Amino acid sequence: MLRFLLNRLLTAIPTLLIIATLAFALLHATPGGPFDSAKRMPPAIQASIEAKYHLNEPLWRQYARYLGDLAHGDLGPSYQYRDTSVNSLIRQGFPVDATIGVCALLLALLVGGTAGILAALHRNTSADYVPMFFAALGISLPTFIIGPMLILVFAIRLHWLPSGDWVTGSVRYLVLPVVALALPYTAYIARMVRGAAIEVMASPFIRTARAKGMPPRTVILRHALRPILTPLVSFLGPAFAGMLTGSIIIESVFGLPGIGRYFVQGAVNRDYTLVVGITVLYGVLIIVFNLLADLCYAWLDPRVRLHS
Amino acid sequence: MKRLPALVAAVLAACSGGGMDAPAPSAIQVGTALAADQSMERGLNAMPRTLDPTLLTDQDGQAVVDDLFEGLTAIGPNDDIVPGVASSWEVSADGKTWIFHLRPTARWSNGDPVTAADFVYAWRREVDPKTGAEYAAALAPLVNATAIASGQAPVESLGVNAIDDHTLRVTLVSPTPYLLSVVADSYFQPLPRATIERYGDSWTRPEHMVSNGPYVLTELIVGDRITLTKNPMYWAAKDVRVTRVNCYPLYTDLQVSRFIAGDIQFGSYFPGVQYRWLKSQLGDQVVTGPYLGVQMLAFNMVDPPFANNRNLRLALSMALDRNILVKLTQGMNPAAYSIVPALPGYTPQLPAWASWSDDKRHAEARRLYAAAGYSKAHPLKVQLDYPTDDNNRDIMTALAAIWRINLGADVEPYNEEFRVLQQNLLLHKPVLFWDSWIGDFPDPFTFVQLAQKDNPQNYGRFNDPRFEALLTAAANEPDNAKRYGYFEQSEQLLNQEAVFLPMVYYTSRHLIKPYIKGWHYNLQDRIPTRYLHVLEHEGR
Repeated sequence: MLRFLLNRLLTAIPTLLIIATLAFALLHATPGGPFDSAKRMPPAIQASIEAKYHLNEPLWRQYARYLGDLAHGDLGPSYQYRDTSVNSLIRQGFPVDATIGVCALLLALLVGGTAGILAALHRNTSADYVPMFFAALGISLPTFIIGPMLILVFAIRLHWLPSGDWVTGSVRYLVLPVVALALPYTAYIARMVRGAAIEVMASPFIRTARAKGMPPRTVILRHALRPILTPLVSFLGPAFAGMLTGSIIIESVFGLPGIGRYFVQGAVNRDYTLVVGITVLYGVLIIVFNLLADLCYAWLDPRVRLHS
Repeated sequence: MKRLPALVAAVLAACSGGGMDAPAPSAIQVGTALAADQSMERGLNAMPRTLDPTLLTDQDGQAVVDDLFEGLTAIGPNDDIVPGVASSWEVSADGKTWIFHLRPTARWSNGDPVTAADFVYAWRREVDPKTGAEYAAALAPLVNATAIASGQAPVESLGVNAIDDHTLRVTLVSPTPYLLSVVADSYFQPLPRATIERYGDSWTRPEHMVSNGPYVLTELIVGDRITLTKNPMYWAAKDVRVTRVNCYPLYTDLQVSRFIAGDIQFGSYFPGVQYRWLKSQLGDQVVTGPYLGVQMLAFNMVDPPFANNRNLRLALSMALDRNILVKLTQGMNPAAYSIVPALPGYTPQLPAWASWSDDKRHAEARRLYAAAGYSKAHPLKVQLDYPTDDNNRDIMTALAAIWRINLGADVEPYNEEFRVLQQNLLLHKPVLFWDSWIGDFPDPFTFVQLAQKDNPQNYGRFNDPRFEALLTAAANEPDNAKRYGYFEQSEQLLNQEAVFLPMVYYTSRHLIKPYIKGWHYNLQDRIPTRYLHVLEHEGR
């Protein structure tokens, strides 16, 4: 187990290096620079800005400098927000995405998981058709439709909830973005759990458990739940990383200060350090959650051997 | 990414039009007395890149800094310039030396007096290449500003001196009648030297910032909100009604939904495609007004096919039916036949053909097109470069269609990311390209200077000694009426030579709740919060 963990963490280093290198190279290869604007500035000022951000140095030296800073956890200054560092932008934006992401995931797991299992247990009845109809709807409707619809109904028409914004610790501001983000995941999880549950409930070991006279609740919770969750784990690893690093659509629709919007704005504005920084963060999260997913596999299915 | 706001808007508009109506303006009951709670929420188009007045480059930053800082003069409540930190001033007979007298009651938010030295420090910091201020050229009217920004003169040689704590002398290269307007801009505002030297780049954080305007910065969350509260040390604090303002950087579509939900009361923009729908839903809460900006095309005057081909440039300009472009903007933006919009005391010089009938104008355009050597059998084939944007795409597509119908020309719109287009313009690759200009101050010079030989924004590389002579004469003319005369002649010359192809003038667009009062149309679209107040009201 320890060896497995160590091995995975060591292989993460070259992976992250490749991610940072590719992001750095691709951004610098894109035409246009961070300080290009409609108004041109005198060459001496241009030179001064380039010197301040080391943009006047050869690319390999900029890269080496960036990696050196990265090794110390310093993601550099933002070129777009000139008095702010990338670290402070991420420090400020990540908790917003993390709060919404975790809440949305819990909601999706709770509602989607329950609906999926109930649908599987009552196959071909209204308890199956109704949730699966909504699941199909949830998967089909993009968030940029769901988000404005929720705003229209709950903020504009009913005035129950704010149309956007973020106030740390206030549940009112959390509800609409969490629901909008959770809906497609809920739908996906419901369908996935239903499929897995139907398959698992038809397995010989479940039939054996039933034959032994176990009550249905015990059969499900003790025997069926683990194998049902196994396919979900492989989906949730990268999905959760994506939810945590922010949904650009959710952030845009609700005007949230998450890092997803910084990422897109950074790419448009050639904010090299900001984009590479968020890419590396995303890489770290993917690696961590894939590792957690593998650990969960081993817990859920004893046949999986980590050292292999 | 670009598509998202449009889609959201479309969904919102479609849903609202389909029975889920927004609250009618009459749903808000407005009284006449001031509301007990004088706080408000304003929308910004985007998050300002910085709140450091020296480093500002965007209008949203200017809007916030207008509330935080005050220069020698300030934007007035009625589209005028009013005394700011300076209570009075005098100008020399040659118009090149100004003496400003600073009011002794002006204070920084930490209680320190605002002195002439604070202005000298700020202005020198702006032009010092070490600062890296992208808009240092704003100080060009001052003696040695350009040389200092180019690294060819010491910062101490800048044309500004503190005679004493409350007297500032400003020395100019040439008479600058619009000086009182520009010293209200962020680049000319005083700065708290001790704070900046102590905290470096982070001096603009709420916990560090010291300001001298009607408000102080109390919260700043990048991408979410900037909160300002009334500055009790401000010399005119008793006249400031709004005690707290939250500024939200919101995409334009989001400003609309937040406004309708009542979560913001003062929106700074809305998408043009929603104009008629918003007007039908919100009535007088939709406020538009003239704005100091023009949208146009420009020609590469050095390379074929437009170099030395006035007939061709003029043919394209005359063949363009601007009324179609106006329709595309839902009637919001007026047609532009010249690059200078209407300004107080200045009459834009329109070409004679601007008032011709369509038939006569088209016929003359076709004659010029033929004289330039083109015909339907041998059409002009040219690429029109423009920055990627949904609104631009619609207009560029319309242009190509209009020219195909009226002249038979084959113009191919080609969109590029803004920064890619900028780079290509620096390399002088495009021959016909989208251009726009927002004036820095209400004076024709800010527009006609675009065609000056040495202006970095002269991407088309127009170079005409007659034009240069007119602008030189204007620069040395202390009498403003005569100076405007030179600008009129220079504008006529630009029209004759068809250096630019003006399309429409910009319009300021706001969404303002009926209980927010104190605002006034403003050519520069700068409406400081200090003049606003909130009336008693019921409903949002």
